[in-house]
Amino acid sequence: MQPSKVLAVDDSDLMHRMYDVMLRGVPLLHARDGNEALERLAQHPDIDLVLLDINMPNMNGFELLTELGARGAVPGLAVIVVTTAGREEDASRGLAAGAAAYLTKPFRGEEVRAAIARLGESHAP
Amino acid sequence: MMNREPHRPEAPPGHEALVEQLRDALGRASELVAHLSTTLAVAAREPGAGPAAAAPRSEDDTTRALSAARLDVQELSTRLVDTEHQLDRLMSLYVATYQLHSFLDPKQVHDAIADIAINLLGAERFALLLRREGGLECEIVHTQGRIATEAPRFAGAVYEGGDPLVDGALADGVLRLGPREGSSALAAVPLKIQDEIVGALVVLKLLDHKPALGSEDRDLLDLLSAHAASALFAARLFAAKDRKLRTLESLVRLARRE
Repeated sequence: MQPSKVLAVDDSDLMHRMYDVMLRGVPLLHARDGNEALERLAQHPDIDLVLLDINMPNMNGFELLTELGARGAVPGLAVIVVTTAGREEDASRGLAAGAAAYLTKPFRGEEVRAAIARLGESHAP
Repeated sequence: MMNREPHRPEAPPGHEALVEQLRDALGRASELVAHLSTTLAVAAREPGAGPAAAAPRSEDDTTRALSAARLDVQELSTRLVDTEHQLDRLMSLYVATYQLHSFLDPKQVHDAIADIAINLLGAERFALLLRREGGLECEIVHTQGRIATEAPRFAGAVYEGGDPLVDGALADGVLRLGPREGSSALAAVPLKIQDEIVGALVVLKLLDHKPALGSEDRDLLDLLSAHAASALFAARLFAAKDRKLRTLESLVRLARRE
């Protein structure tokens, strides 16, 4: 998958900077929680990939996934869940709620890029 | 609401150029392999035809050249992977440094250190200790994870000593990695500025999916040891100056009223 616009949702400034350098050349937007993410998604309907942290204030990653599901989701939007806890149940819960893949922190740039590339394979005809 | 888009820091330019060069070389080598394969196929089908006719070459020579080119491609691929891996590592270190020096409020620097410990190091449980000014005892300024039950030495407001790994790091400023008998720490990272040890980051447990600290983590711990201390020192100085300035301003306001 070659995303046209990516939304990084995380409450950590450090992670936003990491995404900036890991995904150089990819148009990238930032949100600090689920509420901001919904605003960004409304403002930028061409976002086709969300990198979603689970542990966040206000609206966490699971709540955002549920909200996206309740709204009928955005057509063509893929979500990669990013968990800090590294707990299997978080990943399973994220996948069950509609995420396409998951990553566990800490991760390298090549792991993010590989996860995005694999999304392309799974969406290929 | 987050109105600003974080500034995109530039990656180390030398490494990006190296990756580009390797990509070019890989592309050229692939073209060479393709060309040689075609030549070999043509020579096998029509002896005396194609480039082989202009520069006669035995099939053995071509096969050798093809094998050599394939080995080159393999080597270049390996180097490309290594370089990208190295680039990722440097980017992590760069972002960590950038983040540490982004704040002038000591509390924000503590949070940045914690952010690095969680998101880049993969620490689940840790404590940040800072020496009290003019004293040897350490204040516990930040903890993460189940400290009270699993590492009670680091649960209060002050670390009173007793963990050999941490005490050693605080005494001589040398990074120590566990496990060690009598210590609940996996790593004791002294925070040093010049020869002064201003505190320590004590890593007590890693995330479940991270089995141990690796060589890349060692680089990050070394970076924290040097840069966290200078960032904290700068933030403390700024906070102290700021307090003095506010006091002076208050005094000036009072004097003007009189």
